[in-house]
Amino acid sequence: MSETALPTAYKDPKMPPPVDVPEGPEWVGMLKVFDAHAAETLVSAAHTLYPHQTLPERVYRRTIVAFDALAAKMPAVAQGFAEFVDLVDGAMPVPFRELSESYRVNTLKAIEATAAFRLVQRSTVRFLYDDLEVWQAFGYEGAAVQLGGYVNRGFNDLDWLPEPPPGI
Amino acid sequence: MMTQYELDDSGVVVIVGSGAGGGTLAHELTKRGVKVVLLEAGKHLTPDDFVNDEWGGYEMLSWLDKRTASGTWRAAKDHPFSPSWSCQVVGGTTSHWSACCYRFIEDEFRAKTLYGELPGTSLIDWPFTVADIEPYYELAEAKMGVTRTNGLPGLPANNNFKVMYAGAKALGLNISTGRHAINSIPYDGRPATIQDGFTITGDKTGSRWSTLNVEIPRALATGKLELRPQSRVTFIEHDDAGKASAVVYVDAAGVTHRQKARAVVVAGNCVESSRLLLHSKSARFPDGLANGWGHVGRHYLRHIIQTVWSIFDKPVHMHRGEIMAGMIDDYVRHDPARGFAGGYYIEMNSMGLPTTAAFLEPGWWGRDFVSVIEQYRNMAGIFMSGEDMPQPGNRITLTDELDAFGVPVANIHYDDHPNDLKLRSHGYKTLSAIHAAAGAKRSIEAPSYPASHNLGSNRMAAKAEDGVLDSNGRAWEVPNLFISDGSTFSTGGACNPTLTIVALAIRQADFMAKQMAAGEL
Repeated sequence: MSETALPTAYKDPKMPPPVDVPEGPEWVGMLKVFDAHAAETLVSAAHTLYPHQTLPERVYRRTIVAFDALAAKMPAVAQGFAEFVDLVDGAMPVPFRELSESYRVNTLKAIEATAAFRLVQRSTVRFLYDDLEVWQAFGYEGAAVQLGGYVNRGFNDLDWLPEPPPGI
Repeated sequence: MMTQYELDDSGVVVIVGSGAGGGTLAHELTKRGVKVVLLEAGKHLTPDDFVNDEWGGYEMLSWLDKRTASGTWRAAKDHPFSPSWSCQVVGGTTSHWSACCYRFIEDEFRAKTLYGELPGTSLIDWPFTVADIEPYYELAEAKMGVTRTNGLPGLPANNNFKVMYAGAKALGLNISTGRHAINSIPYDGRPATIQDGFTITGDKTGSRWSTLNVEIPRALATGKLELRPQSRVTFIEHDDAGKASAVVYVDAAGVTHRQKARAVVVAGNCVESSRLLLHSKSARFPDGLANGWGHVGRHYLRHIIQTVWSIFDKPVHMHRGEIMAGMIDDYVRHDPARGFAGGYYIEMNSMGLPTTAAFLEPGWWGRDFVSVIEQYRNMAGIFMSGEDMPQPGNRITLTDELDAFGVPVANIHYDDHPNDLKLRSHGYKTLSAIHAAAGAKRSIEAPSYPASHNLGSNRMAAKAEDGVLDSNGRAWEVPNLFISDGSTFSTGGACNPTLTIVALAIRQADFMAKQMAAGEL
């Protein structure tokens, strides 16, 4: 078993395909609710919460695109994200997204008990780790039924521990 | 064409909920010739609708209506609006379950006698013994195709199991892949598992037993069942004699109907069943139907459930294969020397990246979390299900907030009993020790996720003053009202509850059919 080769990850064919997010700053143009400042502040918050150094910027942007879709459907959620941006921007004399990492971390720690923080933190976990590119990066293969499951594709291929007896 | 009954046909048994209890009972009654209307709040999906996707499946199958939570349990903090979890779909929570099938042991039917007086608890003995239920366990195992019964082989060892096995062997524990209602070989017209690891999002291949793929189709084939999906029950009415007479429900178009009934069976999973009874108030039952003794909603149990996730040096790929195919039974029996009452099963557990991240420690963020989740590929999971103590104050109540159907939103209050915390701590130490013995670099003690073993809130008792139901799951105060879900459990036992719910439903069908034949129901 290779230590480095990561298996290919798949989304179920019935699920919507991953959103294509532009690489440049114009990506905010695809948002329905957030303005550029709110969007970039939320990207910065997602980065601060879950700072994966190997993940590209676009996966964090996709997370915020998912927030935006949620906000477009639910006004109360839109309000929560707006409150979050105000809260983190009001903490220091510099906007949140321009702060250094330690100041961003401290700003978030100070508001952990708020509903707005909870919304952003839980939503980040919900969408960041549901991203096909993140699955691929961390070795989660996702949907399997369309490939016949794992019965012939390694459900029992772990070879670094003793093999249990048949019929155990 | 499916059989159809008139709304004013008072000869039908109306079952509310199509999961392990309600779906099984519908089949068992119809095959005995009884006319049944089965009302299910959720949609009638097919395997083609299901997805291999954790959140996609969750959103498709779950009962997502708001609930509130209070008390010292972690769910009140982590999942304040979804502290308990079940499904809203034809097949109920059997569309999701991971199919562990263990029987209650003899001791667990006499918890009060065995554990003695434990301050703060409301323990009782079950109103029957293991000998009464054993024949029904055998029938349930046969119909569900439980591995290691009736000559069916166990599920094969997968990667996550190999980790659990290495640790268990090093510690001298008794381990196997356990018993599951998942086909290891083709059985009963259903295929063997393809080990896709997505049993819990609907099971596209049908290798796992559910009421959706076994009981309900067979009940329909009798010509005696009318299944009405997307029928949200809001009220149970009774007549002047105090017998249940009709069920009020709202259909998919928002139209309210009233189905007359010969008998009513509530099988909506713990929270919804208690909520429906509490809401069905009348002059005769001012505190809710069958609640003269005040037990409806009380003694709520949710098991001591928790997972330890550990990181190893090399890949595990725990998501490959059936997710709970591993079991250790050394801690099942009550042993006072451990310092607490009751026992627990150790089982294997696997999750995909999305839900591992969500449930590892809700609220956890920062570089430490990142360093753990980045090693998902090298993670293994191990789980326990243990007995929690019934307490009268742990209960489902109605709040002042109304849902879209005008029914009050339920609150679930749960305070951990000291015995629960002792068992929890003991269990965490055992789970972590097993992974450590297999070479874990780091173990994370994850808290309970939303309660899925919801039990006890309409319990059976030998005496009317101790519970809601008699030993056949019939309300003491309403002779043609039955409950058929985990809420009937007198105490929780340690094991996953579905097999027992199914066995009790078969037993209840026998009782109801005999009562009907004798002209008493």
